[in-house]
Amino acid sequence: MSKEVLLCVDKLVKHFPIYRGVFQRQVGAVHAVDGVSFNIYKGETLGLVGESGCGKSTAGRTILQLYRPTSGSVHFDGADLVALKGEELRNMRRKMQMIFQDPYASLNPRMTVGEIVGEPLMVHNVAAGKEVEERVAHLLDIVSLSAGFASRYPHEFSGGQRQRIGVARALALQPSFIVCDEPISALDVSIQAQVVNLLEDLQKEFNLTYLFIAHDLSMVRHISDRVAVMYLGIIVELADRATLYKNPLHPYTQALLSAVPIADPVAEERRRRTILEGDVPSPVNPPSGCRFRTRCPIADTICAEQIPEWREITTDHFVACHMV
Amino acid sequence: MPNQLLNVQDLETHFRTPDGIVHAVNGVSFSLNEGETLGVVGESGCGKSVTMLSVLRLIQSPPGEIVAGKAEYLGQDLLKMSNEEIRHIRGAQISMIFQDPMTSLNPVLTIGKQLAEPLIIHMNMSQEQARDRSVELLEMVGIPNAGDRLKDYPHQYSGGMRQRVMIAMALSCNPQILIADEPTTALDVTIQAQIVELAKRLRDELGMAVIWITHDLGVVAGIAQRVFVMYGGFIIEEAYVKELYANPQHPYTIGLIGSLPRIDETERHRLYSIQGQPPVLYQKPQVCSFAPRCKFAIDKCWQENPMLDPIAPDHRVACWVDLKTGKRR
Repeated sequence: MSKEVLLCVDKLVKHFPIYRGVFQRQVGAVHAVDGVSFNIYKGETLGLVGESGCGKSTAGRTILQLYRPTSGSVHFDGADLVALKGEELRNMRRKMQMIFQDPYASLNPRMTVGEIVGEPLMVHNVAAGKEVEERVAHLLDIVSLSAGFASRYPHEFSGGQRQRIGVARALALQPSFIVCDEPISALDVSIQAQVVNLLEDLQKEFNLTYLFIAHDLSMVRHISDRVAVMYLGIIVELADRATLYKNPLHPYTQALLSAVPIADPVAEERRRRTILEGDVPSPVNPPSGCRFRTRCPIADTICAEQIPEWREITTDHFVACHMV
Repeated sequence: MPNQLLNVQDLETHFRTPDGIVHAVNGVSFSLNEGETLGVVGESGCGKSVTMLSVLRLIQSPPGEIVAGKAEYLGQDLLKMSNEEIRHIRGAQISMIFQDPMTSLNPVLTIGKQLAEPLIIHMNMSQEQARDRSVELLEMVGIPNAGDRLKDYPHQYSGGMRQRVMIAMALSCNPQILIADEPTTALDVTIQAQIVELAKRLRDELGMAVIWITHDLGVVAGIAQRVFVMYGGFIIEEAYVKELYANPQHPYTIGLIGSLPRIDETERHRLYSIQGQPPVLYQKPQVCSFAPRCKFAIDKCWQENPMLDPIAPDHRVACWVDLKTGKRR
């Protein structure tokens, strides 16, 4: 795989302010993403995993400038997206698209499938009139839907088919980078495999780069080249998939992996589990020092005092932990 | 021979909808022994929840209607009981926990009040006795400062803690059977692991039987002894858990297991995907309902619905095809 950097995220921060009282004074902020840095290479799939509320979806949206970041930079294709505005940013958006989690909420129920898939073409003045119809038919064909579906409405389709419509819409402008935000977690098991196989086929065919956000560690392992693990707004570990799953260094990654059930009763019997105590702390007031220390089985005094440094332990294996 | 607690025969449940009758459960038979954990696996709409809701007569009618079958609990047919009689079974002998703990708890009552209610109704406890027992129950499910937290409302608990409260409530009257309907689906993996461990520990300590409904084959592998797989309102395969995973015989079960990536997989391979969609149940299926999606389907599959027949001791399959030969078994 070529090592050409497509996207470079540097110290990205996104805080959502909390306002209270009659004068709506800011009393605090949700530290949704609190300084994440990573590169995404051309043609790869970077998996971003974490539990709900860890900021993984916010990170995806902030990268695409759907939320404007509080600070930090996102370099994509030679430009800093954070500095771009208006027309320039709109032009950039052609090259980066998003597939959303909920195929029921992300399609407008009052638009036909043809209008949904064709809208990006018209918004960006890529095609008009008859050409839109042809392109839509072609896009539907790519995601294995019949071209005749263009005149139908989203409610007539099942979850898996709707997700295909979402994929067709994301592909309309021939992007090079797609953020897949939990694209399969709302689908049934047998349908999940269909959509994942489709995403893999499209990646090969169109040389796409994915940021694949999910909480399902087995699926992330299956689809990703490299995996980043997020906890409470920061990335705690990043490595290629084989290394991360075989030799996880951060105690959170270890606990997360051991919590995933395996569909094999024999393997389940033999496993030893690390079960984490308690819940994820509130991102409004994250713990001092290392954010994981309140649930960490090996935390020491230093963990409460200093924020662990983001270190490269071996080549391309990054981890933020004092104890490693 | 262990004691049989529950024996369900030919259960059929329909829903009358404006678009027609939905045949949600189409003749399901199973039994549950004392102290046993039974896993029920299937995708949304396969009838797994409706089967168990029917057994407890929790189907809202109309639109729902249990049209046939019997469900014997220790020899008494639950489906023939009066409303008064079944009320003494529900919550006391057989209790149930649901997927979403937030919608199952009353948001305007304190946790203490909700925990005490079944104790006062079913166990004739006084307020003080119920309170003491509530504290004991919360401690049993691992909630710290149980005494103080009784005064809290559900929104002050996290998702995992709410599910612990649900479990505490379900176990408050020492039931013989606990039916858990996707209890960990709404939770994160680390919290899911906590709840599964808790359920296993309590099951072993209290010696109750558990029916664990889920779509997650991984969770079932870790908790159940016997499993049945449902599709289109039928049980299509039933076996002991190790046999089912090592030697699945129904093409749907094989597809389900194959479509799951494994956390311990070493090489990347393409996922097995079952083509098409689950059936819509506006008609009672006369032929095998999996046939339209099945790679192995033969003529017979399109003519008659297969019965759930034993192919080995303790292994039953509803399929016409012997997968080794590709011919009729």
